[in-house]
Amino acid sequence: MDFSIALILVQDGIVNGAIYALLALSLVLVFTVTRVVFIPQGEFVAYGALTYAGLQAGQVPGSVGLLCVLGAAAFLASLWAERHQLGAGRVARLAAGTLLLPAAIAGLAWLVVPHHPGVVVSALLALLIVTPVAPYLYRVAFRPIAHASVLVLLIVAVGVHLALTGLGLVFFGPEGSRADGFTDAIFDFGTVSVAGQSLWVVGLAAALMAGLSLFFGRTLTGKALRATAVNRVGARLVGIGIERSGEIAFILAGAVGALSGVLIVSLTTIYYDTGFLIGLKGFTAAIVGGLASYPVAALAAIGVGVLESFASFWASAFKEVIVFTAIIPVLLWFSLRHHGVEDEE
Amino acid sequence: MATPRSSLLLTALTLGGIVFGAFTTSAAAADTLRIGVSVAATGPAASLGIPQRNTIAVLPKKIDGLDVEYFVLDDATDATKAVANMRKLIDENNIDAMIGSSAVPASAAMGTVGLEKGVPVVAMAAAAALIQPMTPEKKWLFKAPQNDSLMADAIADDMVKRHVKTLGFIGFNDGYGDSWLAETERAAAAHGIKVVAKERYARTDTSVTGQTLKIMAAHPDAVLVGAAGTPAVLPQKTLHERGYKGLYYQTHGAAIPDFLRVGGKDVEGTFLPVGPVLVAAQLPDSNPVKAVALDYIHRYEAVYGPGTATAFGAHAADAFSMIAAALPAALKAGKPGTPAFRAGLRDGLENLHELVLCHGIANTTAQDHNGLDARGRVMVTIQDGTWKLLP
Amino acid sequence: MSRRLSRPLWALATVAACLLVPWLPFLPPYWITLGNYVGIAAIVAIGLVVLTGEAGITSFGQASFVGFGAYATAILTTRWDISPWLTLPASLAAAAVAALALGAVTLRLSGHYLAVCTIAWSTSLFYVFGNLEIFGHNDGITAIPPLVLGPWRLVDTQSYFSVVWLGVALAAWLTSNLLASRSGRAIRALHGGAVAAASFGVDTMHARMLAFVHAAVLAGFAGWLYAHFQRAVNPTPFGINASIEYLLMAVVGGAAHIPGALLGALLVGVVNDELQDLLPRLLGAPGNFETIVFGALLIGVLQVSPDGLWPHVRRLLSHLPGGLARPAQAEPSATAEPLPRREMPPADSPVLTVRGLWRRFGGLVAVGDLGFSVRAAEIVGLIGPNGAGKTTTFNLLTGVDRPTSGEVEFLGHPIAGRPAPAVARLGVARTFQHVRLVRTMSVLENVALGAHLRGHAGPLAGMLRLDRTEEARLFAEAWRQLERVGLAGQALRPATALPLGQQRIMEIARALALDPVLLLLDEPAAGLRAGEKATLAALLRRLREEGVSILLVEHDMEFVMGLTDTLVVMDFGVKIAEGTPAAVRHNQAVIEAYLGAPDDEADAPAGAA
Repeated sequence: MDFSIALILVQDGIVNGAIYALLALSLVLVFTVTRVVFIPQGEFVAYGALTYAGLQAGQVPGSVGLLCVLGAAAFLASLWAERHQLGAGRVARLAAGTLLLPAAIAGLAWLVVPHHPGVVVSALLALLIVTPVAPYLYRVAFRPIAHASVLVLLIVAVGVHLALTGLGLVFFGPEGSRADGFTDAIFDFGTVSVAGQSLWVVGLAAALMAGLSLFFGRTLTGKALRATAVNRVGARLVGIGIERSGEIAFILAGAVGALSGVLIVSLTTIYYDTGFLIGLKGFTAAIVGGLASYPVAALAAIGVGVLESFASFWASAFKEVIVFTAIIPVLLWFSLRHHGVEDEE
Repeated sequence: MATPRSSLLLTALTLGGIVFGAFTTSAAAADTLRIGVSVAATGPAASLGIPQRNTIAVLPKKIDGLDVEYFVLDDATDATKAVANMRKLIDENNIDAMIGSSAVPASAAMGTVGLEKGVPVVAMAAAAALIQPMTPEKKWLFKAPQNDSLMADAIADDMVKRHVKTLGFIGFNDGYGDSWLAETERAAAAHGIKVVAKERYARTDTSVTGQTLKIMAAHPDAVLVGAAGTPAVLPQKTLHERGYKGLYYQTHGAAIPDFLRVGGKDVEGTFLPVGPVLVAAQLPDSNPVKAVALDYIHRYEAVYGPGTATAFGAHAADAFSMIAAALPAALKAGKPGTPAFRAGLRDGLENLHELVLCHGIANTTAQDHNGLDARGRVMVTIQDGTWKLLP
Repeated sequence: MSRRLSRPLWALATVAACLLVPWLPFLPPYWITLGNYVGIAAIVAIGLVVLTGEAGITSFGQASFVGFGAYATAILTTRWDISPWLTLPASLAAAAVAALALGAVTLRLSGHYLAVCTIAWSTSLFYVFGNLEIFGHNDGITAIPPLVLGPWRLVDTQSYFSVVWLGVALAAWLTSNLLASRSGRAIRALHGGAVAAASFGVDTMHARMLAFVHAAVLAGFAGWLYAHFQRAVNPTPFGINASIEYLLMAVVGGAAHIPGALLGALLVGVVNDELQDLLPRLLGAPGNFETIVFGALLIGVLQVSPDGLWPHVRRLLSHLPGGLARPAQAEPSATAEPLPRREMPPADSPVLTVRGLWRRFGGLVAVGDLGFSVRAAEIVGLIGPNGAGKTTTFNLLTGVDRPTSGEVEFLGHPIAGRPAPAVARLGVARTFQHVRLVRTMSVLENVALGAHLRGHAGPLAGMLRLDRTEEARLFAEAWRQLERVGLAGQALRPATALPLGQQRIMEIARALALDPVLLLLDEPAAGLRAGEKATLAALLRRLREEGVSILLVEHDMEFVMGLTDTLVVMDFGVKIAEGTPAAVRHNQAVIEAYLGAPDDEADAPAGAA
């Protein structure tokens, strides 16, 4: 291997790693706020990618239907959860958030699609369609058992993953899609050429991370989320409902996932079931960050991307074996740092 | 803890479940040919299985005075499920023959059930290893698609014609990739071509940069992508982006419209071996395959719309044609629904003579349960976003 | 047991059912086939009962162990023509070795880290199976020979049904024996928390490993059955989705119950099959509807009935005549030989000596330069306001926590920093401020857990019921301790059914079952009524007469003053006074410590709670 090959591999690893980093961040966010290990995070990448590709191809993507169905389910779940304290106003607000909103987005999609929306409009619309799926899922699947153990929440998350993969096949079909990126430009740096879209991916990922850190550091909502993460009772005392924070965390997770999908679908072909492995790698990184530290998780994600890139050069058949085995020593190190017997939550 | 009690209770529960499902059994009629089908309508081989399942719906409902009934199940590209499907169809629907499945492991496992139960199986997966070398275990297993070795030889022939001396291979990290890697190495060695890089990737991989760099570092004259469906696009596109200037070959697994849709202009000029059905309209009228293939395409597209017919779907039609051609021998042996009939069907299936299929012309023997020869494939290239027959 | 069928009769009935059911004339043959798949899956799910239901370890990797079992026999039978019956031990061993290796690396992880780690290594193994020559690459290994029994080739579903279900019955029998045995109780004790389990001598890592290996061996057995039924193996059925399906079975059926595993396997198998026929017809489109339904099922069951469906089914079935009510637990055995007892140190000899004990958490000093001693047959009270460091001290003395510095000597052995089970083995038993009991056990079983170190039977003896004599002795001991503390009448009730005060007393019985030299009691009188307190005090005095030394944390001053020989008073981690109750009562520092903290009113000397 010469230097230029290594350079290309590093560059490829960083681009993939940037996506993993985004997912890792949102996994950390969701976990710290809600204690849910959000396995279906990857599905949002696939949904976002295929929705965007569908819009580009001039179709109303199947995820619009999914959005409406899940919205209705969230409506019913919320009604049931709040059945003892429902007023007309609350029902109306619920209906607006879970029934009208999806309908409005669906209507928008129908209006826009025939006019062959550009890249930016498609991307925004894809985000609009896919993002609300996450908070709806939160209401349907996780909120009713918000106080269950981490393990139970994890198994439920796996259940959500199963269901979403199955729905993905129904709505998007078995074949993959690619779409136009934000740019076709290719920049030459000596021996290495860099696709403009790759720069977009890395740049947007970095911008998003910066935005998130501003959000957590400066805004009241962000601080509230952090408070929930640190101390759930305390957060309630300050007047921030845990459920509200959970919903915001899921909205962010949905948006980050969908955006990752939009970014990556011009670099590669995405299938309805691509998300799981992408999510799992983001996950590996999040775990390395202890499901708590954003910067460590982001760095680890870049590391996973680069490792994967080199593994595919050295031993492509064993790439996944290498990537997923690499997490084990890290985890071991974690567990050995703690001495003695400790009770699990 | 009352373990024996629990076990017995469970047995009781199983019994309950069994009774619950008992209503599905159907009565047999002697003038109906029952064909079971298990396809990979979901899972990794879904792009093969879906057109095959669709094809079943346009197959004849009557033949040689017999009603034909089809029982189609999805096995999700899982051999366990395929075997369960076949046992179910045998036990509940008393099928006379089985078509399926789309992938190799499921087909091989169904062949074992065929032997045990005395039901002929016509597979729609390509690997030659399914039926070669012929052993007693494979006695009830037949295969409609061309052997992949036939396809690999076609590629090697074409490479020799184009003065390819070194070849890079990148294929799926699954059964399809395994068998293509093996066949490619065999065919290349036989034609004096050196395989200088062997790389693997997964269907859902988002990047193959590492693999393509390794291939390019070996400077092969041509690259063969051993993958099926739209995922076959990714390596070629990446090589293209990295500025690889050699020839591109794909396998017949890439010969579906979605490959052209996703690949776009980056796959122009690719060479691949395919069954003649894919370019039926371009075949000379003298080729007997043309009429049969066009007939299939018309029937399929009448239902599913123009431009939807695929070579994979045609394997299902061919599997049916093989069974239909074996029918006279079977009817001499017994009535449908009897073991004698099924044994007759099996015997008939290994005595097909010059049977014209969508994918070529078959002559089966006790040793060759496929029977397609070099007439069963043509080389095509991609030109202006469509398949173009090469002379 | 007298009114019920005896054990051999039950066994005979089960065997007969396994042999005869597949040949019942009205049964559609396909349902026998389905029964085979259900049975094979049920064996894996039974393993998950031990692993997930009892040991609390969530595994998304069981299918990998099925793979080890299946590949082991596939390779041996096809390459070297070894008889399938001889490869069975190899299949089990392959799964066990894999589990030992994976367990050694990952079982130290806790909770969700471990669960996620199982996803990682099972994904890895899937590709390992698919890429190595020995596993036949992705197309796998075909033409695996069938099982042959004398003149019969077991290729038809009917005879295989008997093999599979005899296997299920065997797996269920061995597993329930295991869970009811000494080793099994150790696994189940993990439920009450690792700290509690370790405090009566359970090596928690060992117990976790045992559960992990047991589940893996059952999965390997299922793999062996699968390989000779399917007669071909490839990586697909050993991937992550299959693992999720096994977990689904266990969770839906009820992960803490063996019949639940069977119910779950049956349900998933039948639903899977019905969906295949039904859904495409209903919805008109093809798709992976099973995954959608299974996903929804998993979510729904965990939301509505987190313990799975079996508890509901059992309730229904218990209404049937002759029902399924659990059989009565053994009564105290009259014949069991009492367990050997430890020799108590001579009166007044030093038992526990603490010198210069420190524990810092970051900059915070939880315990500072603490020193005191407990002599044989002495009751020492450790008192002080909330946050004084009493419970931390207990944790340091019992090996739950490691001191920053300092010495602790117990009967001449230095024990500072030694692991909890080792300390327990020397004869130190304790109770907890917040009761830690195993919720799934009866009062009697919880107490028997305390006698863990006084038995020796290993898991194999437990599975094969070779431990009956020892078990009888352990349970006789548990009965004896329950009588001693006055809870014998409650012995067979679920531990959770006791009021909190009695749960504390049960913890004392559990600690006594260890036959301790030194008993550490953390607020034993909390939640007791006046009469009960008097009884408890009498019990502790009797123990003192028997030579047991007691170190006691208690807020109820009347109780402490009347009972203890010596008092040690702590405040902010530091000892502020030591002496007889009468002396301490008038100590100025003590009075200030209590009165100076009006917030801790509840802790101030008070009468009956």
